[in-house]
Amino acid sequence: MSFRSSFLAGLGLVALVSACATTEAPFTQYGEALTLTENTSVSAILADPDAYVGQHLRVEGTVVGVCEMRGCWMAVAGENDGEQLRVKVEDGVIVFPMTAMGLHARVEGIMEKIELTMEEALAQAEHQAEEHGTEFDPSTITGPSVTYQLRGLGAEIENGD
Amino acid sequence: MKKIQWRKWNRLIHRDLGYLCAGLTVVYAVSGLAVNHVRDWNPNYKTTESSFNVGPVTAEDPRSADTVEEILRAGGLGSTYRDTFRRDENTLDIFLDEGRVTVDLPSGEASVEFIQDRRVLQEMNQLHLNQPRGLWTYMADLYAVALLLLAITGLFVIKGKKGITGRGAWLTTVGVLIPLIFLWVYR
Repeated sequence: MSFRSSFLAGLGLVALVSACATTEAPFTQYGEALTLTENTSVSAILADPDAYVGQHLRVEGTVVGVCEMRGCWMAVAGENDGEQLRVKVEDGVIVFPMTAMGLHARVEGIMEKIELTMEEALAQAEHQAEEHGTEFDPSTITGPSVTYQLRGLGAEIENGD
Repeated sequence: MKKIQWRKWNRLIHRDLGYLCAGLTVVYAVSGLAVNHVRDWNPNYKTTESSFNVGPVTAEDPRSADTVEEILRAGGLGSTYRDTFRRDENTLDIFLDEGRVTVDLPSGEASVEFIQDRRVLQEMNQLHLNQPRGLWTYMADLYAVALLLLAITGLFVIKGKKGITGRGAWLTTVGVLIPLIFLWVYR
């Protein structure tokens, strides 16, 4: 195969891959395609999280936080001030972009209850402080803790400008 | 019967795979260095911070368009924004296309975080971590197999004192021992 024909074959491959990857959709998909059509309100979930544990849910809302280091979680706002639901995904399987903050997202996942021992809560707080570049203050953790999160399976995030 | 010139084929495969893999190896190596130090810096985004003071925000609804636009104008940030979030009673987040403004409402102190993609490096990281999935998964598999072949054929490129039966044997042994020693130390 001559250099010229190799080069043209390479260009063809690049064009084919580009054509497959091009999308005009107003939302970018992350992970699995969404299957549910009905939303569950983030505020309703946060009001009584135990009632939703283990359930496959779809939520919608503004992205108000994203894991800065690995994109392995994002927070979706509820209807009321201060409310946010953390969506955790498997590291590397889904990566949420930091630039998604402020955009609208639809997410599906399984609601989880996480019970942390004192040691685990300390480790988690330390990790979060490191992630946000803030100083870790162990005195803020006074005992075991319970948190709730959506184990994200798939998401659609509005495309920014 | 004609003897198969395996060493010639070995060299040929090693040479052409080397050419084929050069570009991807650069991608994986550069990205590998970048993501290996993810705790020390963000390999995908460049963030810059600044601050300004807008004065105490006393509006009944700090999320109202008028109030938010006033805050943004005070910081010289134009007046367009994506959305807002009242994180707690005293904190308002304003999301812009370029980043986030966090306002401490009682003091009016606003910190601005500008987020920019690290072009090229971010794309390299996406390929390295197989974020595109789909066809790229198979491409990355092929690359891994090619690397394996490169390593194996590389052992037999040269014969003699500097080949695998001489100096090559020692260096190959050192290369195998390095990960084993680390595994033993960190187990």
